[in-house]
Amino acid sequence: MRNPLADVPVPLLDDLIDDEYVRSLVVGVVGTLGLLGLFGLLFPGSVAGDLAGIVFSTSTAASTARLAAPIVLAGLGGIFAEKSGVINIGLEGLLIISAFASVYVASVVGIGNAVLGIPAIWIGFMAGIAASTLLAGVFGVVCIEFKADQIIAGLAVWLIALGLAPFMSTVFFGGVNTPNLGANVGWRYSAVMVVVATVASWWALNRTAFGKHLEASGENPKALDTVGVSVSRVRYAGVLLSGVLSGVGGSALALSIGQFVGSGETMVQGKGFIAIVAYLFGNYNPLGTLGAGVLFAGLDAIQIRLQQLGYAVPDTLVQTIPYVVVIVVLALVGRTRLPAAAGDHYETEE
Amino acid sequence: MNPAVHLDGITKRFPGVVANDDVDLEIERGSVHALLGENGAGKTTLMNVLYGLYRPTEGTVVVDGEPRSFASPRDAIDAGIGMIHQHFMLVDPMTVWENVVLGNEPRTWGGLRVDEATAREAVVELSERYGFDVDPDARIADVSVGVQQRVEILKALYRGADVLIMDEPTAVLTPQEVEELYDVFEELTDQGKTIIFISHKLGEALSAADEITVLRDGVKVGTVASADVTREELAEMMVGREVLMEPATTPREPGERVLEVTDLHVEDDRGVEAVSGISFELREGEVLGIAGVDGNGQSQLAEAITGMREPASGSVDYFGEPMAGVSRREHIDRGMAFVPEDRHERGLVMSYDLVQNGILGSQHDPPFASGGRIDWNASTEHAESVIEAYDVRPPNPDADAEDFSGGNQQKFIVGREFERDPDLVVAAHPTRGVDIGSTEFLHDRLLELRAEGKAVLLVSSKLDEVQGLSDRLAVIHEGEFSGVVDPATVTEEEIGLLMAGETLDDETVSGAAIHDAVDDGLDGSGADGADGTGDPDDAGGSDRETATDEEVGA
Repeated sequence: MRNPLADVPVPLLDDLIDDEYVRSLVVGVVGTLGLLGLFGLLFPGSVAGDLAGIVFSTSTAASTARLAAPIVLAGLGGIFAEKSGVINIGLEGLLIISAFASVYVASVVGIGNAVLGIPAIWIGFMAGIAASTLLAGVFGVVCIEFKADQIIAGLAVWLIALGLAPFMSTVFFGGVNTPNLGANVGWRYSAVMVVVATVASWWALNRTAFGKHLEASGENPKALDTVGVSVSRVRYAGVLLSGVLSGVGGSALALSIGQFVGSGETMVQGKGFIAIVAYLFGNYNPLGTLGAGVLFAGLDAIQIRLQQLGYAVPDTLVQTIPYVVVIVVLALVGRTRLPAAAGDHYETEE
Repeated sequence: MNPAVHLDGITKRFPGVVANDDVDLEIERGSVHALLGENGAGKTTLMNVLYGLYRPTEGTVVVDGEPRSFASPRDAIDAGIGMIHQHFMLVDPMTVWENVVLGNEPRTWGGLRVDEATAREAVVELSERYGFDVDPDARIADVSVGVQQRVEILKALYRGADVLIMDEPTAVLTPQEVEELYDVFEELTDQGKTIIFISHKLGEALSAADEITVLRDGVKVGTVASADVTREELAEMMVGREVLMEPATTPREPGERVLEVTDLHVEDDRGVEAVSGISFELREGEVLGIAGVDGNGQSQLAEAITGMREPASGSVDYFGEPMAGVSRREHIDRGMAFVPEDRHERGLVMSYDLVQNGILGSQHDPPFASGGRIDWNASTEHAESVIEAYDVRPPNPDADAEDFSGGNQQKFIVGREFERDPDLVVAAHPTRGVDIGSTEFLHDRLLELRAEGKAVLLVSSKLDEVQGLSDRLAVIHEGEFSGVVDPATVTEEEIGLLMAGETLDDETVSGAAIHDAVDDGLDGSGADGADGTGDPDDAGGSDRETATDEEVGA
């Protein structure tokens, strides 16, 4: 069946997005929000009114930005890795490690201090990026150099971070949760970073030579190799970028609260896995990933607010809203296509 | 003037194998040079040395009078050498121009942006200069194989190649496309480019090359001018003994009807109709050849007949019994042998050794199975006998299938299927990738089967093969038979036209359709015939133009 959202006429979009799939995603999200706003304005007292009130409030925007940052940024990172041919399902681990490292380093430097004129909290932020990039680098070496199975190596990255971060927290702070730093990075920073990273990623993938090399590396690495571009270097670049971007996401997540929470599934709580869904959902297009990430995060934020509103609906049911919507949207927009050589090792001849 | 390329005493050893032994080669600028030899003769290895993929164990590569040492293809490219591999190195979802400039993109904005306009312009300019008709914005996935090949040539030219190495360039082309490729050769050499192409086909070396170098077992047998040599002499140089060029078919009275296919429609994996109403019958002791460009429904036809694919409509009767709903296993048990088109996907389990591969399809049957267990001794003996009879090299039944070269894998599959003692053999490209010595043997085996009264359905894109072996020759185009002809009287050009979906005048096909259970277009008068398969272009005389625009699309 042809997806009906692809045919909704929106002239401007056609110049910007040539991908039918992403286009329908954007049309769907914007359309839903628009309808909701319209009903909210028309019937302020109804459920739609309540919903619109929640959706269009600043506090929802703030928590959406906070929740979306790790999803979108890790998702963007995942695009770079997977486009190059390395499926990185360790994004969750990268988020965890950067969330912890950022809080740890910020607290070591001490809030109120600065290094080279940079306030402690931003030093922590950079440390988070560095930690995530380092771990991604290890993952890259294992997968590209030693040809380990990418899925297993990715799971290892997650499990290592899941164990290591709370353990280090216990060693340094005496508990799996770190104390609160008493300072944080405002949600507007997160929002700006998300938007800038999305636009930059889109440009890198679609307009630069590097983007073409990434695509070739994931689709037909041999074609790239025979024209003299090193496939491993392109793949390392893709994997390291997934580390950098996930690092930004993890640091933003932890520092927006000023604390690392290491109990249970840690404060990352599966956002790295949702990031994978987000970029698949966005069909490897950063704009689509942004849309998908904001959709998930927004629904999550709304869902939390809805619980507080006290409708006579069980909370557990309300919590499923984001996932139900995901399934509905997925059914509407159709399917994605993996890069042809994703998951395959590449060996140059001789 | 220096020769464009001079390979001086090249030896390349791999662990346990000498792939090239002291090979000397001089190639004149502006000439077309064919490198001819059987599978495993070391042609591709030699060219990989020239292209910097391999480093020679001994010897030097001299390009334009200057000794060179290439660490990687990049160095070779810088020295003006381009290689077009047998399997095209193109990125399917990307456009033609993106593929051409890949790795050498012109950039603006301080490197932050690929200069699309410049890139496209360069591609268009090159394309026009050499008379290629290529749309720079088409996606590779959407263009024909012939066009993809031209994109590969453009890629090399864009990188400043003066010497173009082409590995088996005609393997995937229609006869008309091959002609066009020869024209491209001419255009390129006129403008000072040098072409080296690898081939194991005599005819192609003779018609396209100025000079031919023959390699055998890694050693150079000699270099000859194509004008001074005959097919027979070349074949002898390649194989090292005299080769019977034409398989000897003797006319035979066909026996009982083995297979009857009636108005068969088959869909491919995407649900698109690939076979659109084919009918024919096949008798004992008869070979029906099916010629056509790959991807015109022959795979689906073969699969439908052998029970690998459920037809959408129509019927397949085998010894008078309808085969609809009959399992694949039952097909095998009733004596249908199948040499599949894709040897990796369907013919072999690549990680199994030849013993295990040798009993595929017979694993339930004695002598290989007894009481639910497999008799490995009997299986090993069987594998060994196939290896010996079909000259599979190296003769090691314990080696995994993936360790054999393509030609040897193919010989093993054909051997396994032919030795099943079948009543019907459906063979899709049985000699694809097999050298002429072994091809000759496989052809002889096939004719022996025919003499034993087996029915053979032979699908092939090699015209000389289908023409030489078949009693009747059907040409398939877009899922229909565009004609059934008598292989003894039809010309290659006529087959080429049918392959491109055109129809022939009635006279040309006279004496052809022996059992004439064929599609419409042909049984009426000449004029009706032309209308029957309705090709809007076939009124004009520009056969070749139509041929390329029409074909492939696979």
